[in-house]
Amino acid sequence: MDTMFMVTLEKNIKSVKDVLTSQDIIVFEFNSQEGKKFAAVYADGLADKQLLGELVVKPLKTARENCSLEEAKGILASPEVKDGKKIKDAVNEISDGNVVLFVDGEKDFLIIGLKNPPGRSVAEPPTQVTIKGPREGFIEDIKVNLGLVRKRLKSENLKVKMLKSGKRSETAVALIYLDGVCPEGLPERIEKQLAANEIDIVPDSSYISQFISKKPRSVFKRNGTAEKPDIFCAKLCEGRVGLIVDGSPIAVTVPYMIVEDIQAGEDYYTMSYRSTIIRIMRVAALFIGLLLPALYVAAQLFKIQIIPFQLLLKISSSVSGLPLSPSVEMFLTLLVLEILNEASIRMPKYVGLALSVVGALVLGDTAVKAGVISTPAIIIIAFSAICLYTTPDLVETTTTLRWIFLIIAGSIGTFGIPLFVAYLICYLVTEQSYGVPLLAPFAPLVKNDLYDSMVKANMYSLEARPQAFGLKNKVRLKNK
Amino acid sequence: MSKEISVRQICFIMLVYTAVSKFIFYPCELSFGSGRDLLFAAATDFLIQGIIIWAVSYLCSRTDKTFFELIEGTLGNITARIIYGFFALFFILCTVVPLFEQKLYVQDIFYDTVPSLTVFLPFFIFSIYAASKNFRNIGRSADICMPLFFVSMLLIFSMSLFEVEWDAFLPILKTPLKSVFGGSLTTAFRFFEPCWLLMFMGHFKYKEGDAAKITLSYAGGAAFVLTVLLIFHGVYGGAAATRQFAISKISLFFPAIDVIGRIDLISLYVLEVVMIFALVINIQLAVHCLVKCTGYDNRPVFSLIVNGLLILVIVLFNNNLSTIHKMWSNWFWIATLVFANIIPLAAWGLRRRTEQ
Repeated sequence: MDTMFMVTLEKNIKSVKDVLTSQDIIVFEFNSQEGKKFAAVYADGLADKQLLGELVVKPLKTARENCSLEEAKGILASPEVKDGKKIKDAVNEISDGNVVLFVDGEKDFLIIGLKNPPGRSVAEPPTQVTIKGPREGFIEDIKVNLGLVRKRLKSENLKVKMLKSGKRSETAVALIYLDGVCPEGLPERIEKQLAANEIDIVPDSSYISQFISKKPRSVFKRNGTAEKPDIFCAKLCEGRVGLIVDGSPIAVTVPYMIVEDIQAGEDYYTMSYRSTIIRIMRVAALFIGLLLPALYVAAQLFKIQIIPFQLLLKISSSVSGLPLSPSVEMFLTLLVLEILNEASIRMPKYVGLALSVVGALVLGDTAVKAGVISTPAIIIIAFSAICLYTTPDLVETTTTLRWIFLIIAGSIGTFGIPLFVAYLICYLVTEQSYGVPLLAPFAPLVKNDLYDSMVKANMYSLEARPQAFGLKNKVRLKNK
Repeated sequence: MSKEISVRQICFIMLVYTAVSKFIFYPCELSFGSGRDLLFAAATDFLIQGIIIWAVSYLCSRTDKTFFELIEGTLGNITARIIYGFFALFFILCTVVPLFEQKLYVQDIFYDTVPSLTVFLPFFIFSIYAASKNFRNIGRSADICMPLFFVSMLLIFSMSLFEVEWDAFLPILKTPLKSVFGGSLTTAFRFFEPCWLLMFMGHFKYKEGDAAKITLSYAGGAAFVLTVLLIFHGVYGGAAATRQFAISKISLFFPAIDVIGRIDLISLYVLEVVMIFALVINIQLAVHCLVKCTGYDNRPVFSLIVNGLLILVIVLFNNNLSTIHKMWSNWFWIATLVFANIIPLAAWGLRRRTEQ
């Protein structure tokens, strides 16, 4: 496949068509006024035909006789033109959405950047909606995403290294970092880790996230994510390395600390007091969501004293006559919630609305009236679900852990809860993401970084970049 | 050598783990031995241990060697291994009584009825895992335990401090001195903190003033214990000697509990996480000593062996805490005196510098 092209136009076209046999590969042949033959080869639906006509075909049709490849390059009005020599390059570029231009009598060809794949326009990501602050979000087009980043970081130190991942998909991956800010050698380590994996297709950044993770089997993720360019750029300025994957609206960032997921973009655009209160509330909600179902089961089964007496009377009247034990009841309620959650995501929008009504009213209400499950169980599970979504980036982990806590509380009892918490602490304190402890700045305690953890101090207190990263360039704010 | 633990983390260990390891049976035991003058008995023990801790931490300023290297440099490798073997045994024995107490405490505060031993056995799953970790893990766990400890203690103190009857301590120092120091002596087996520091020696980077920081942290831990003793005896008076699980009992008379339920249990459950780590530290150090003693660096295997032994003890003597406790308070203070007091002081006599 690395063979050189032959000189006649027909043979060149045949070489490409021998590899790209699909019918959506279009060969558009045209002549100049003087009779010089050209052929533009592109993938239908990926290349911009209007621009092809205006920037390529129109100027060449007026060209004089016997214009060479170099001359043709000068005639073209397209700003993105480069030379190509090998058939493999031509095939890759056509598959990528660009146009390959053959000139009769020339063995080389031109690659014209007219890629315009179908995609949506820049919009606010549904999981990171803000009241204050920028609303632009990443989309599936890597070029647009890179543009959104470059728009915010005009520094000459912003480095973008284009990589490919996926044996068959050849997905473009942009490795982005701020030179002189990010830890030395980190981009190279990530690149090496990425290159160590070979897979057919990389449809989303989550694949890349797993490839660059040192412990992909862990319940706890090792990489951060960003769906908005403002957050992504802020992370780069803190010394992280970012990865934008073609076809994915979610960028990956490393190193990662769990505290990142407690922070939200909007925290930095509102008053620090308000942000602090909200962050503490998020952490509280996280623990409530995680532990409340387990504590409720444990309290009912093993330690009824935890529940205040008046509430206990209410619960008692609610659970009397139930055919299920508290643990089975809670287990089933949680199972129903997970099924409803899963179904509501997969179902068409309008069916989903109906499903919500069926799930919430019909199933919930009738199950309580029929005496199958109790009202407190539904309240607790619903509240737990709401609480966990205050930290949406941790939901995958926390919903998994909630099951484990529930099973432990129903079997070992109340003691199982602090025991498992201790286990999680013991596990997490030495876990790392590219040399940065997951629990930093709490363990190990990094005093400087505490100003932007549970607490969000005012802007002037955040003059240093996170010290947990061990950066050489430490200052990010100078107050002159 | 990589410095696995920081001075800050050692300070946290000295403050937090020292305190929580004396919250369960120690107050009632001391109240039984020293009556209303229990604070003096406790202060005596803390003062002696504080001096030894200062001596060991000051020794750290004079050498960057580990305790093992100090013994090895003076008495030879074999002696160092033997001494570490004895230390491993000492740490295992140190764990026995706190383990039984923890089991009973768990059965009391986490369950309405007295459940079987099996509810406590999962502790050993955690213990096996934790004991196979290194000093870095111990230090960072202490970083997390510190805020948990402070928050829960703040809540417990705020619920109990105003219930203290101060006249429960009057008349002061009327208890015969023999009883006061008798209380000190019978509870002396619980004071093994200098051994922790001895094991951490050489594993942290000493800076000027660190000895004072470590000693003051220990004093801080002592202050927490003394406050709990004060509240406990102030709340229960003469009946304190019959009340076990002191920390869970001191906030029982908080007026709001009648209305909003046992909110103190939330603090106690948070504190339990810290207690679990405080209990495991001796097992972790026993494993560390075994690794040094045998020269075989396979912590998971030693962790399994040590925990296996402790499971055996707790299963065989499940209902015999009083016998074990009696034996430990009568005899084990001698071992504590040797390992936690004499040996740390004797470490000053070891060769601290490598001869050129």
